[in-house]
Amino acid sequence: MRRETEIERLYDGHAQPLYAFLLNFTRDEADTRDLLQEIFVKLAREPKLLAGVRDERAFLIRLAHNAAIDMMRRRGARDRTKENFAAETISPFAATADPDEKIFRGELAAALAELPEEQRAVVHLKLWEELTFEEIAAALDVSPNTAASRYRYGLDKLRDRLRPLHEEIK
Amino acid sequence: MNTDDFEQRLQRQPLRQIPGEWRGEILSAAESAAATRHSPPVTQPSWLSTINHQLSTLLWPHPKAWAGLAAAWILIFAVDFSTRDTTPFVAEKTAPPSPEVIVELKQQQRMLAELIGAGQAREAELPGFLPQPRSERVEILMT
Repeated sequence: MRRETEIERLYDGHAQPLYAFLLNFTRDEADTRDLLQEIFVKLAREPKLLAGVRDERAFLIRLAHNAAIDMMRRRGARDRTKENFAAETISPFAATADPDEKIFRGELAAALAELPEEQRAVVHLKLWEELTFEEIAAALDVSPNTAASRYRYGLDKLRDRLRPLHEEIK
Repeated sequence: MNTDDFEQRLQRQPLRQIPGEWRGEILSAAESAAATRHSPPVTQPSWLSTINHQLSTLLWPHPKAWAGLAAAWILIFAVDFSTRDTTPFVAEKTAPPSPEVIVELKQQQRMLAELIGAGQAREAELPGFLPQPRSERVEILMT
């Protein structure tokens, strides 16, 4: 049986959460794929990047976050229309047959898309990666207090937006 | 609304799964990159792509301003073309004179030559006017 390479181990261990984080950030599947490939190509080219890293997940999320921000900056204003359009159509959540859940996930995806990118990143890492504010702070290169306040603001906006629906289908 | 309840509900929402076919594609690209990392290919960009890049860099910061400038030049050219004098500079070629006209012209030329010849003969007969002092002219009149 063939032995798993280091890059395969990294992919199998971290690709799914990186994919979810990047998809929530970019709201574009093609961009998410490009960014993921960019990250793993970088890791393959420079294996020493991970030398001495204690928390691989936090390190890779930081790489992904920086790569996504670089991509947005490179594009500038040219693709804002496309991003806005994509934000309305691509959901980071799995499909469901339950009509109530389908509506709730659609509304949640739209509400997340309306959050500023920095709040969306913190909300995602806190809710779906279950990182602590210290871990989020390390991943996004901000202070734990900043991470906590961004989470609070983001969550308040989600709550305001989704309150009626949440109460209705609770 | 209970905040914990709301947060828990959000946490329960399952995220979209990464497409399975990406694994092979991304790992293949990564392994190819790893294999060539010691000898990175030096790709010389073509001059067309270089010009394209330079123009994009130059024009992109203010595309509307450049578009406005281009529109102004197009307008100037359009006005220039519409007000241009279209009359030809070279005289139009005229039809050759008819034989009657040629005969008439030759006749006039002959008459002119005759007249000039008669004049010259008369001038030869008459003494030419020689300017003289006023006092001498009086003497001539007296005689």
